[in-house]
Amino acid sequence: MGYNELSYLLLFLPAALIVYQVTPARYRKFVLLAFSWLYFFLCSRLLIFYLLGTTVGVYLLAIAMYRVQEAASRKKLLCAAGVAGLFGVLLYVKYTNFFIRVLNQLGAGNSGWQEIPAVKILVPIGISYYTLEAVGYLLEVYWGRQKAERSFVRVALFLSFFPQTMEGPIARWQDTAMQLTEGHGLTSENLRDGSVRILWGLFKKMLIADRLNTAVNALFTNYTQYQGAMTAVSGIFYALQLYMEFSGVVDIILGSAQMFGIRLPENFRQPFFSQTASEFWRRWHITLGVWCKTYLFYPVTTSRLTMRWNRFARKKCGKYVARIGVTAIALTPVWLFNGLWHGPQWNYIFYGIYYLVLLWLEEVLVPVKKAFYEKTGFSSSHTFWHLFRILRTWIIIFTGEMFFRAAGLRAGLEMFRRLFQGVHLSAIREGGLLQLGLDRMDYRVIVLGTAAVFVYDLMKERKVPVWEAIVQKRKAVSWTLVYCLIFAIVLFGAYGPGYQKVDLIYAGF
Amino acid sequence: MTKEDMKKEIMNILNDIDDSIDYASEEHLIDDHILDSFMIISLVSELEDAFDVRISAADMIASNFNSVDEMADMILHLQK
Repeated sequence: MGYNELSYLLLFLPAALIVYQVTPARYRKFVLLAFSWLYFFLCSRLLIFYLLGTTVGVYLLAIAMYRVQEAASRKKLLCAAGVAGLFGVLLYVKYTNFFIRVLNQLGAGNSGWQEIPAVKILVPIGISYYTLEAVGYLLEVYWGRQKAERSFVRVALFLSFFPQTMEGPIARWQDTAMQLTEGHGLTSENLRDGSVRILWGLFKKMLIADRLNTAVNALFTNYTQYQGAMTAVSGIFYALQLYMEFSGVVDIILGSAQMFGIRLPENFRQPFFSQTASEFWRRWHITLGVWCKTYLFYPVTTSRLTMRWNRFARKKCGKYVARIGVTAIALTPVWLFNGLWHGPQWNYIFYGIYYLVLLWLEEVLVPVKKAFYEKTGFSSSHTFWHLFRILRTWIIIFTGEMFFRAAGLRAGLEMFRRLFQGVHLSAIREGGLLQLGLDRMDYRVIVLGTAAVFVYDLMKERKVPVWEAIVQKRKAVSWTLVYCLIFAIVLFGAYGPGYQKVDLIYAGF
Repeated sequence: MTKEDMKKEIMNILNDIDDSIDYASEEHLIDDHILDSFMIISLVSELEDAFDVRISAADMIASNFNSVDEMADMILHLQK
């Protein structure tokens, strides 16, 4: 039951809201938990035992850690056991067959090698998301930044709140845990704002992302038939599809939570206005970035080993070498993890290494960039350079997403090679875009829909509170906009005959 | 060392990392993304050396680094 399906939007969510509201405030947390577990059960049936096991294990481990907080080594051992156990389960369900494939490939050349058969393992929904939340909670308690939670319901809700189950956002304990059990009643403002946010998410997903899906499938399945501009279109279309789909679904998720009065952390902040790759990752899938920074990057950079290297390199080679050395040490685990987290495929690992290298180069080239602006006298804040850096970041994003979506690393590398063959726009001019399963009307909807999203994102980038201003001052305008959104989704949404049902992309990670 | 002396030393360290920021008036160095992660790594290492403290992953929260005053408070706490 995806968040864009009618069964969720017209049955599950309204039922949860009604039962929540008619229940006395102190029992509302139990209603949310019951609906959350029901949602998980409807998606993954008996695999809910993974979630229940994780919840009980994390709840007890955190309390045990808190009880032995004076005994540092026991506390460390308990934390290490918890983190290893959580990642162990994730590795088992998601990566066993990947490792078997790698072993078979390595052993294939040896005589007498007996191929290891693949194992059938069912993957529970959202395991990549709730595992990170559980690890984060354990580390917060281990570091003493949070007390071990006595309320089992609060821990259980933190790990399973139903709007977050499929695609996050990956919350930290301090972001959501307390809100989830407060049991505030529904308010007309929250219901109105949450509904509008859900409509906006559906607009992005159904008008743009799901429509682009047809073309993206054609481009990536038959990639050997394209080159030059059409291969570039593959990366551009997929990046656009992924943004509209993932940010659209996150709008539905955040809107659903808002209806209960719960503010989940934002996952996007106008990523296509980024001027560098590192800025892009502070604006795209923000909660994964924050998780990696909090629970991977900082522990690595403040570790004794890294600090020792830092001191040694600063004394022997100077601050610059020390800085780029530490940067490499810290970025490597973060980006290998980021790549692997998306799934057991070489192109995801390559995607992580791609950004690792780019972000490291960003740091390496800091003095070069500084010298460039100083020697030429150009102002780095001039509009030309601002737009140049945004366009350069777009090229980085589109190339990265091309590898990410490709049918394997070999296909990604072949597509990259093809980018530089037959580089002229004739393929597009001669109707190449109309042979991807979309007609002129589809492209009109995509262009107009994307323009609407661009204008909205631009307003947000300039900190113009568009929606708040409309709601507070002009009721007629806000209702007109809401009706426009509803009619646009119903009339121009890519559903029904001629369109494939598109599963939530990030629910697969 | 008094807290004011400590703040002056922290300002020197910060200016050495990037002298284009007015650290005295900034109170949201992390929340407003004025200091990025790599600048913080350099800062942590310099603070550890200058004040002989051990800054661990547990101390890496925005509220310890948002202003010079908060950094001084964190160091005073770590020196206890």
